Amino acid sequence: MVVQPGGYFYQKVKPEDATDIVREHLLGGRPVVRLMVTDPSTDAIQPTMEDIPFFNKQQRIVLRNCGIIDPLRLEDYMGRDGYKALHKCITGMAREKVISDIKSSGLRGRGGAGFPTGLKWEFTYKAKGDEKFVVCNADEGDPGAFMDRSVLEGDPHSVIEGMAIAAYAVGAKQGFVYVRAEYPLAIANLSHAIEQARKAGWLGESIQGTDFCFDLDIRVGAGAFVCGEETALLASVEGRRGEPRPRPPFPAQEGLWGKPTVLNNVETYANVAQIILHGWEWFASIGTEKSKGTKVFALAGKIRNTGLVEVPMGTPLGDIIYDIGGGIPNGRKFKAAQTGGPSGGCIPSQYLNTPVDYETLKELGTIMGSGGLIVMDEDTCMVDLAKFFLAFIQDESCGKCSPCRIGTKRMYEIVDRITKGKGKDGDIELLMELASIIRSTALCGLGQTAPNPVESTIRHFKNEYMSHIEQKKCEASACATLFEAPCKNSCPADVDVPRYIALIKQKRFDEAVDLIKRTNPFPAVCGRVCDHPCEGHCRRRDTDEPIAIKALKRFAADYDSVHACISPIVTRTGKKVAVIGAGPSGLTAAYYLALAGHDVKVYEALPVAGGMMAVGIPAYRLPKDVLQHEVDNIKAAGVDIRLGVKVGKDISVKTLLEENDAVYAAVGAHLEQSLGIPGDNLPGVLSATEFLRDVALGNKAGIGGSVAVIGGGNSAIDAARTALRLGAGKVHLVYRRMREDMPADKAEVTAAIEEGIEFHFLTAPASIEAAGGKLTLKCDTMKLGAFDKSGRRRPEKTEGTSEIVVDNVLAAIGQNPDPTFKEGLPELVTTKSGIVVSDPNTGETSVERLYSGGDCATGPWTVVAAIGAGRKAALAIDRKLEGTWHLEANKPIVRTLVGEVIEDPMPRAVMQELPATDRVCCFREVELGLRAEDALAEASRCFQCDVRD
Amino acid sequence: MVNLTINGKSISVPEGTTIIEAAKAAGIRIPSLCYMKGINEIGACRVCLVEVEGARGLVTSCTTKVSEGMVVRTNSPAAKEARKAVVELIISNHPYDCLKCVRSGKCELQQLANDMGIREISYEGEKSHHEQDKSTFSIVRDPDKCVLCRRCVAVCAKVQGVGAVNTQGRGFGTVVAPEFELPMNSTSCAMCGQCVLVCPTGALTERDSTGEVWRAINDPVKHVVVQTAPAVRVALGEEFGMEPGSLVTGKMVAALRRLGFDKVFDTDFTADLTIIEEGTELLHRALSGGKLPMITSCSPGWIKYCEHYYGDRLDHLSTCKSPQQMFGALAKTYYAQKAGIDPKSIFSVSVMPCTAKKFECERPEMVSSGYKDVDAVLTTRELARMIRESGLDLNELEPEEYDAPFGISTGAAVIFGATGGVMEAALRTVYEIVTGTDLGSNLDFVDVRGMEGIKQMSVKLPENLAAPYDKLSGLELKFAVAHTLKNASQVMDMVRSDTAPWHFIEVMACPGGCIGGGGQPIGTDYDRRVMRIEGTYAADKSLKMRKSHDNPAVRELYNDYLIEPLGHKSHELLHTHYEDRGRV
Repeated sequence: MVVQPGGYFYQKVKPEDATDIVREHLLGGRPVVRLMVTDPSTDAIQPTMEDIPFFNKQQRIVLRNCGIIDPLRLEDYMGRDGYKALHKCITGMAREKVISDIKSSGLRGRGGAGFPTGLKWEFTYKAKGDEKFVVCNADEGDPGAFMDRSVLEGDPHSVIEGMAIAAYAVGAKQGFVYVRAEYPLAIANLSHAIEQARKAGWLGESIQGTDFCFDLDIRVGAGAFVCGEETALLASVEGRRGEPRPRPPFPAQEGLWGKPTVLNNVETYANVAQIILHGWEWFASIGTEKSKGTKVFALAGKIRNTGLVEVPMGTPLGDIIYDIGGGIPNGRKFKAAQTGGPSGGCIPSQYLNTPVDYETLKELGTIMGSGGLIVMDEDTCMVDLAKFFLAFIQDESCGKCSPCRIGTKRMYEIVDRITKGKGKDGDIELLMELASIIRSTALCGLGQTAPNPVESTIRHFKNEYMSHIEQKKCEASACATLFEAPCKNSCPADVDVPRYIALIKQKRFDEAVDLIKRTNPFPAVCGRVCDHPCEGHCRRRDTDEPIAIKALKRFAADYDSVHACISPIVTRTGKKVAVIGAGPSGLTAAYYLALAGHDVKVYEALPVAGGMMAVGIPAYRLPKDVLQHEVDNIKAAGVDIRLGVKVGKDISVKTLLEENDAVYAAVGAHLEQSLGIPGDNLPGVLSATEFLRDVALGNKAGIGGSVAVIGGGNSAIDAARTALRLGAGKVHLVYRRMREDMPADKAEVTAAIEEGIEFHFLTAPASIEAAGGKLTLKCDTMKLGAFDKSGRRRPEKTEGTSEIVVDNVLAAIGQNPDPTFKEGLPELVTTKSGIVVSDPNTGETSVERLYSGGDCATGPWTVVAAIGAGRKAALAIDRKLEGTWHLEANKPIVRTLVGEVIEDPMPRAVMQELPATDRVCCFREVELGLRAEDALAEASRCFQCDVRD
Repeated sequence: MVNLTINGKSISVPEGTTIIEAAKAAGIRIPSLCYMKGINEIGACRVCLVEVEGARGLVTSCTTKVSEGMVVRTNSPAAKEARKAVVELIISNHPYDCLKCVRSGKCELQQLANDMGIREISYEGEKSHHEQDKSTFSIVRDPDKCVLCRRCVAVCAKVQGVGAVNTQGRGFGTVVAPEFELPMNSTSCAMCGQCVLVCPTGALTERDSTGEVWRAINDPVKHVVVQTAPAVRVALGEEFGMEPGSLVTGKMVAALRRLGFDKVFDTDFTADLTIIEEGTELLHRALSGGKLPMITSCSPGWIKYCEHYYGDRLDHLSTCKSPQQMFGALAKTYYAQKAGIDPKSIFSVSVMPCTAKKFECERPEMVSSGYKDVDAVLTTRELARMIRESGLDLNELEPEEYDAPFGISTGAAVIFGATGGVMEAALRTVYEIVTGTDLGSNLDFVDVRGMEGIKQMSVKLPENLAAPYDKLSGLELKFAVAHTLKNASQVMDMVRSDTAPWHFIEVMACPGGCIGGGGQPIGTDYDRRVMRIEGTYAADKSLKMRKSHDNPAVRELYNDYLIEPLGHKSHELLHTHYEDRGRV
């Protein structure tokens, strides 16, 4: 509600809030802060509508009266300049002038195709005919679109006035509004308004004493999507089956009962009176060169603020989604937006800066449509989305022309089989072929645009189609036949989460750990440091909170920490494999290859095994003994780890290839990128990676009393928190974007803030200067500008600057692989930054028998991703070496319900943590694990959605 | 005239011509499926797509009218590929059962696939399935073979004005069917079979009776007699590659004998009889103040239509049975008696150009002989199939004569097959009876001939007619002839509103009359109808006897058996009644 004067905006007001509003605000003059809107990212209070981006970024022409006036009161409409435009037309404007004004205004059809409205009127005006009609298309059928409905419900007179002006201009005496039967309130309000307008002399004979006569009737459609197509709509108005016919002739020539007919959309008509009233120049000043005025969008899907918004044409898509729409809820990432409904296409994150107008959308392979804007996040499967729209089209196709009737069915069948894991090589090409045929041969707009969602998703998300077809994998966990449970599906290491949780639930902890180790030899490590994508996809999330999967894994692993590695007696194959790097990826590959019966040697340059787990992740997150225990288990499986041997220096990869049947290169990414600013080589400016490694290896770290860490990833947080523990009294973290943009684990960021690290957001280092034994980090103040390819707003320099004086600057802006290992192997293809190009599913590289995975093949990424890559490479190598393990490894297991499924809300278990004050002095582990009873309760929260029957 | 170029060829056609017709005029064939000139120009199948310079995308040549300077390419790679893809899509939803399909060899889809060189279908998938509709005696609907061209819908609605079938459902589930997918026998369908004639595939076919006819022929106990309708003899030849309108009466008789029919008779015999009965009825009504105008009743499709749509005007219908049913009643009475055959063992078959005749013979009242008067009706197409099945080629058969006594007929009976023919035959007889004068060679009443939808004529009777016709002296007798049910409805609306000026109306359900009946060879179109009509009148002209009342066998029938027209026996065997069926 809005309280005037002052325009204070209160949201979610309940009856019990009335007392406060009256007592505090109305009587006391103290606005009620708790009812005001707050910015979700800054918590800033936004007291008035003008302060709220949802409103202040909008410009309302079509919706100007909606919610402001009582739609049942003609006086309300009149009080807001209602019928002034019609009066102006019929008492003083030549019909030609009305048409030319609408033409000059640049108004285009808001129903979707964007045909110039004035031109359409002119054609009808010029068409020969004793009788002409004006028809309004209110057969709004796009899933999720409801702007026509809102206008008819909230401001019906604006449509009547627009139609009357159109009728005056073209010489029509009768009009029809075609509304779908699903809009009873719109029909009621419009009928009421027509009746009022008749009584008040705005409809009927001799309107306002002039010789202009015009009346209006409502035709109720039975809710066929195709009746939004103009010729089908006209057929339906005439009482025939709503089916399109070929055009030409266009309705302007031969429309209703063969007579010249103007047919426009509700939103188009709602603009007309305003144009006449304020002049075409005013309207033409809004929007872009070819798309004038505003457009109403129905925001729907994965977005905070759903509902209708009206913005000037050309508003960037990102502004609509983030500023007005409030962004994506639940910390999910924006994936794409669908415009134009089933006839449109999707716009992925790299096009967030796209100005939304007719032409630009068309270039992107989509259409404006009637204004439906469905926002999708990473949980949306684009193949599934295409399937949804094809199913919709199949339901709604009138069945008249063969390409639409049969062609879209064939497309549906192909997409359907892809989503069911039965996709075939060539299916994408077949889809594209069918799409092209249907587009060029279908009878009407519905059919011609029906392939758009498929073409568009293939254009922008071909990889998703490929992974459905080739790997039978649906990343978004939407295509039910392609995964057991979303947690397992989203785990890069393919850990069978629901089954080990079921084992924990039954107190079979050792079996739970065994099950985890079938795909991940580091349960204790991952139980502590995994970024747990599984939890982000947990179905329980929609009920209350996701299962604490990471904590449960840790619980099982800790409980079982004395458990020795399974060292089954395996037949030795006599095949030899060398692994370069004893990080998570290398050790994982080595472990499974050893279990497969191959002889495995691991070469590690550092004096310790574990890679980044040992020298990157600080001990307060991952105690050394926990890691060592799991490394020991791997050794016990028969893996021979040679520490302190640097491949490329001490032994060449060529030699390894000669001496072994296969080589797996997993050297990680340990080379810190330089800051690239003046002063980045000054003494005291350190690499965060080196710093953390020195600390881990017990070398002297040489850190001063104050430190500035530059970067927003986990390394930056690790470096900052480690510096704090080494005694730095003041630790700054400098990041050029906002907190929500940080790639670091959210919990780590929170922990860092708790520990007293000072964050400087929107701050980018410009130079470092040394003076008086201190370093002065000079920074630019940034602001967020347009969106970059990652879908985040790009930081842009402002005039503002700041300075931080510290003893050390730690750079943590990204790492690259150390290229030493590939000395003498020029045929190995790598990217510019040294990333090894390898098949993400097998690890195969450009060199025969050389496989690669983990950070050196992906750039710095997560432990669990490295583990997953190691296992995939092991499977591929075992297959290549004609072993048998890979055949056994992924055998499906029987899934049955264990105990009862608790669907009632139940709180998520929380791990005990060291209090912040106790943490910063030392490297004691912060998270303390779950107690047994908590773990059992937590395990019982699992829906066991992997059990399908 | 509009000038345009098609495939580089400059042509000039009248304004309003569609591209497909313009191309045809230029000798360029554009493939099509749903198109029927003037009847179905809806651009639904998308098979006739062509490229027009400057147009957005391809256009359907059946709906797009030519414009000055238009440049059309019917065979550009884009157009050819699009057409082929569309046909492939249609075929992908078609049962591949050409080998056992009754339309094999005459299927337009098969022809298109063959012409386009389709050797594999790239877009295989689910095929839509709907139950076959075998609820009627006349027509079988097999939606699985339907390509949704809607030609049947158009012909039923626009030509016949019935609208018994329409599109139901949406998307892939769309099906052409009666409203609510009711079975055909519970609709107002007239069973005329025009839908079958225009169906490009085997989705609409006649209900096949060849099996039961073969069984009867092969049954040594059965005495199988066959009658052949007038319109069959000018169309059957087409099934064997002859010109439309070729008169193959003698060859047909020979073929029927080879098939094993015991007696080959002619429906023309009872056509002559019909004229006597109906003419007498007309005069009786005129003299006794009976219901006028009287309307003919030989077209069973028309009768069923009238029973549905004009149930309040059934008393205008002549009570005469159709020639088929008169024949049936006599075959199991008069003929049985005369030939000394137990009527129980007679199996009476008729060969008709008509699917509604199959319905007619099943009407429960058609048992005047004490048995089912006509046991089985074969359409022209079914007869052709039986002939082919027997390894016969109509071209090579020597003509033979019908059997007596029901093989004797006149030219008046022959022209029953063409629209206006019954009227003309009746006029020849009625005029001579009423006036007592011989028409001599002035037998051709050309005003009632031809393809015009509703034809009218009048004959002024002389003054001073002798009794009992003196009452009619100087009367201007007015007649109307309508063919197609849509035209019939126009006439009937006038009858209903008492504004019909006529005394006698002939109605035939099918365009052109029986020669254009729903049982005739596939490919029946306007031109063929005209040629069959020409064949019909040529046959009439070639005969010595051209007036029904001259038929000696008919006279003998009255002398020996019926005694007099409209007499007691006639009433029993040759007349019938109708029921108001209501609109469904």
